[in-house]
Amino acid sequence: MHLPIFTHRQPADFAGVVSALTEGSGAKVLAGGTDLLVNMKHRIEMPETLVSLKKVADIRGISLEGDATVIGAATTLKEIRQNSELERKFPALVQAAMSVGSYRHQAMGTLGGNLCQNTRCRFFNQSWQWRQVRSLCYKVGGEDCHVIGRKHTCFSTYSGDVAPALLVLDASLRITGPDGPREAPLSTLYSGEGRTPVTLGRGEFVTAVVIPGAAARGKSRYEKFSLRGSIDFPIVGAAVWRGDGSVRAAYTGVDRAPVRASELEAELAGQELTDASLKRGANLAHKAAKIAPTSVHPVSFKRELMGVLFVKAMRDIS
Amino acid sequence: MKVLNVVGRRIPMYDAAAKAMGQAQFTDDLERPGMLHGRFVRSTIAHGRILQVDVSRALVLPGVKGVITGRDIPDRVYGIVPKGKDEHALARDKVRYIGDAVAAVVAVDVETAEEAVRLVKVEYEELPAVFDPLDAIQEGAPIVHDNVPNNISASIRKEWGDVEKAFAKSDYVFEDSFFSQAVNHAPIEPHAALAQYDPQNGDLTIWSSTQIPYFLKRNLATTLLIPENKVRVIKPKVGGGFGGKIDMFSKDFCACWFARELLRPVKFVYEREEVFQNTRQRHPMYITVKTGVAKDGKILAQQIKAHADGGAYNSTAPLMITLSCFFIMIPYRIENLLYEGYHVYTNKPTGGAMRGHGIPQARFAIERQLDMIAGRIGVDAAEMRVRNAIQPGEPHPAGFIINTCGFADSVKEAAKAIGWTEKRGKLPFGRGVGIAGASFPSGVANMAHLSSGSVVQLTREGRVNVLSGAADIGQGAETVICQIVAEQLGVPMEDVRITAADTGICPLDAGTFGSGVTVRAGNAALLAANDVRGQLFQFVAERLEANIDDLVAADRRIWVNGSPDRGMSLNDALHAYQYADNPLPIVGRGSWIPPTEQPTSLLTKNGNFSPSYSFMTQAAEVEVDIETGKVRVIKMVTAHDCGQPINPMLVEGQLEGSIMGGMGQALYEDSTCIDGQQYNPSFLDYGFPTAMEMPEMESVHIDTDDPLGPFGAKEAGEGTQLAPAPAIVNAIADAIGLEFHRLPVTPAMILEGLRKKQGKAEGTDSST
Amino acid sequence: MGKKTVLELMINGDTFEIACAPNMTLLEALRDKALLTGTKRGCDTGGCGACTVIMDGEAVLACLTLAVEAEGCDIRTIEGLALDGKLSPLQEAFVEHGAIQCGFCSPGFIMSATALLAEVPSPGREEIRRHLAGNLCRCTGYVKIIGAVESVAVKDRGGEK
Repeated sequence: MHLPIFTHRQPADFAGVVSALTEGSGAKVLAGGTDLLVNMKHRIEMPETLVSLKKVADIRGISLEGDATVIGAATTLKEIRQNSELERKFPALVQAAMSVGSYRHQAMGTLGGNLCQNTRCRFFNQSWQWRQVRSLCYKVGGEDCHVIGRKHTCFSTYSGDVAPALLVLDASLRITGPDGPREAPLSTLYSGEGRTPVTLGRGEFVTAVVIPGAAARGKSRYEKFSLRGSIDFPIVGAAVWRGDGSVRAAYTGVDRAPVRASELEAELAGQELTDASLKRGANLAHKAAKIAPTSVHPVSFKRELMGVLFVKAMRDIS
Repeated sequence: MKVLNVVGRRIPMYDAAAKAMGQAQFTDDLERPGMLHGRFVRSTIAHGRILQVDVSRALVLPGVKGVITGRDIPDRVYGIVPKGKDEHALARDKVRYIGDAVAAVVAVDVETAEEAVRLVKVEYEELPAVFDPLDAIQEGAPIVHDNVPNNISASIRKEWGDVEKAFAKSDYVFEDSFFSQAVNHAPIEPHAALAQYDPQNGDLTIWSSTQIPYFLKRNLATTLLIPENKVRVIKPKVGGGFGGKIDMFSKDFCACWFARELLRPVKFVYEREEVFQNTRQRHPMYITVKTGVAKDGKILAQQIKAHADGGAYNSTAPLMITLSCFFIMIPYRIENLLYEGYHVYTNKPTGGAMRGHGIPQARFAIERQLDMIAGRIGVDAAEMRVRNAIQPGEPHPAGFIINTCGFADSVKEAAKAIGWTEKRGKLPFGRGVGIAGASFPSGVANMAHLSSGSVVQLTREGRVNVLSGAADIGQGAETVICQIVAEQLGVPMEDVRITAADTGICPLDAGTFGSGVTVRAGNAALLAANDVRGQLFQFVAERLEANIDDLVAADRRIWVNGSPDRGMSLNDALHAYQYADNPLPIVGRGSWIPPTEQPTSLLTKNGNFSPSYSFMTQAAEVEVDIETGKVRVIKMVTAHDCGQPINPMLVEGQLEGSIMGGMGQALYEDSTCIDGQQYNPSFLDYGFPTAMEMPEMESVHIDTDDPLGPFGAKEAGEGTQLAPAPAIVNAIADAIGLEFHRLPVTPAMILEGLRKKQGKAEGTDSST
Repeated sequence: MGKKTVLELMINGDTFEIACAPNMTLLEALRDKALLTGTKRGCDTGGCGACTVIMDGEAVLACLTLAVEAEGCDIRTIEGLALDGKLSPLQEAFVEHGAIQCGFCSPGFIMSATALLAEVPSPGREEIRRHLAGNLCRCTGYVKIIGAVESVAVKDRGGEK
């Protein structure tokens, strides 16, 4: 399977990236490539230009700014996995990073790339040849959603491992674009729409992730459920955080965006964490997501897993 | 007992270093000047008539050198089983599954060929399609092949004793139904072919990733209308087969066709998606088993009905359904049996030979039911297997000759190693042990074209050159053959070179299937080596004034047994042999075919099926996460009667690999379809087990010495693929009390089962 | 085919000048241009690890690496491990342990394991498994592969004493 034709740009700084991204109409950022290049081989993403982050300065590395931890967007998942400071402060983040794909993917894949990865669906993540059997799906520019049999809608599922961990850590993003840098909560990165899951504007790209110091004052855990111990995307992934009387939970693999389980969190706010209260929370977990059959795994099974993984994760940090 | 120097040793494969250095060449590694690259246009509908194929836009794309459709090549069908031939290299009138090859394109590079494929437009008249064998046999179902109106392209009915009478006499009769899914071979090397034509002499050479060079040669000749002696098939290194390369494919025929038409070398390499969708897979199978037993667990009668989902074409259909039937006949003694099996066409990817070939599905059903019966009648499941085990030398109702059989011992040993008595039914909820047994032939003896030949040359310098038709697909056939020859001629492995699986220069061989290579090709090589030995040793015996039968050889020396000083070096012997004006190199020939009274299909007449039968019992210990439904296989034990291993390290490798294969079949793999389209044609979505899933493995060798196998060897490698899946599912039943009837057993199924069970229990509580 | 440029790739210490468009992967450059066919194409989508090479010390998937992004990197392939025809200790261990059957996945496994041992000379069994889990093998059941890597790791551990 060959990659389609594109122009390759390798700017040296943020400004160069922004200008390369805004030159043509269809430019995309190339970070580790483990997600984007597969999609390009499948011809479900066909950017005219790839803007590489490989030579961009100041976009890789882990540092402290006051009590906040700042991780450059092009920091590899392996670097996160191997950072003992991160492991101590934010175990959920490290557990999520080390559960992505295989160790090969972690050596190549970056934090920013993992967060911005495209949503997935059994009718979407297929080769050009495979997709000829059905009409072009809405996400690739057609009209139909083959998952639910309706037009102009897309339920493709967000399946990144790291986002839920960062959501419960209350992380925010540093984004640079034509209008200069801005900072935004991670949750605003996701549109909740399957077709265009990421909200970045034209010419914008993520430069860093900021984790507030307060996040280190709680305990966190990422629990991934997949059939195999490596390579697989999560069937469901759950991240939890607990501290100063509150519980946070977020999920991947269940909806068009990574989701915070607000009903669950509200139920447990200020509560004593007992088997009974955890179970009450677990029963509310599924309310956070609208699960569609975008994989072979039954919706009811995923729904059940949301509660199960929450309890498992909480048990581990109790 | 005879002292062996090379045979029986843990010797690395002779080509392992080349593979470790990246020097070993597989088909896709071969490069030829001017080589063109091919790609296929594939059907986008499951069933329909081809109305028109418009190749005009593809043909004018710069770099495209040719485009053909089924109408451009001879109207000839091919097939691995002669009476099952039903497939065109490119679909001619009809497409029968999503992915059927409709046209082939060649271009200067793969990129251009891929682009050209996108430019070919095919118009179809769509026909109703059928995706399930039980639907396909109904009156009025869509007909996949017009000449097979009921879609049943192969069937077998086998009966002995009186099943009805035996059921009437049984203390218990149970009937249970099972389903086994489609499993892909998933060799890491995708299927590939490279063809080159020499217009000067009309020779067509093809390098193909194949397990069956000689069958491929014949089919190329008959479909492309080329004399068979002009076709040469060479098998480079093959990156795994597992049965998936026991067939020929569009890539072989089209590479040859274009090479001859365009007078340039042409290579086709399948995409991973094509390996999943367009090669072969283990047949999905519905099986109903009815078993009559006595109170003590003795099997009195068994009646089995099987429907195999064949997909769009036959491939090995008649053989597959026969094998599935025959290996119900062992390893247990069944005095009354009735088997009815059907191979049914559907509009789906095609089934074929896959490690075990029709038998894993049957064993899953039978070994599952045995466990369920043991539980229902209160007999120990291991003890029940021992009680029904066939014994060596006992007369077999179908005429199998069981010379050696360690089955009963294998059950006992496997049970011991897994800790059966301490664990079965006694572990905490969520943890359990299971056991399952099996048997497999060392090659089949009931078909024509099943002899193996070998030529062994001993040169003046003491170098040994072996020619063999055997196809090494990574299992180590060439190494094993070299070991046998080295042993017989008393030379170290490093003196032996082998050239194999090149139909232009190697003697005939059936190919790699039915687990017959070591016994069949090994015996041929042994005979050829003995021929050389006879010639040289006769001469040496005269020089030493000894009897040839008293001579022994090892480490490049020949001497009189018991008198190490009465001997000479191989080098001196060859010197003397030459100076006595004897012709060099010394050439020995051998050919071996399994001894049978007469080749018979056994469909109408009983008889022996194989020169020998291996036996094995596998035991599993599993842990089920009752919250998520995920199963972890903790330990697998294999107690294995494979005769005397020629190379114990390679035997271990076979059984370790088949345990992971069995785990995949039990828990992970399912080549499932949506409306006839395979939904998961990638390694990522298919998801066979990684090193993270690897359990602890233990093997126990059950010692037997087969009279017909070379140095007492029997098959190893396919038989061990049969029992792991049922052993694992039996262990799940022990762990959580749920009896699963279909494969694979997924976490979702387990959670659903546990929920139902809980609901039932709560229901009972409230009513009492 | 897109505009071609000439790349200089440093492979196993040698410089290769390769004319290619940006859409050429490192795997294609290695196999089709440099004719280093020891690196295998198993799936082309990062799902099997057969194409694993070492780039600046890191084991990466060549099928998901652009050749143009490999420029200026130190690329090691399976062909570059043996010195003067002598197998590396890891290659030797794969041979001796029977860790190689069909051999198609072996180069990827050996490159992955080589990178691991360069970084962590004495990994535990669990770490070896985790590290190699991105490489698929359909023949061996992984047992002998893990054993081979372990044997080299243990030897190194012995050497440190």
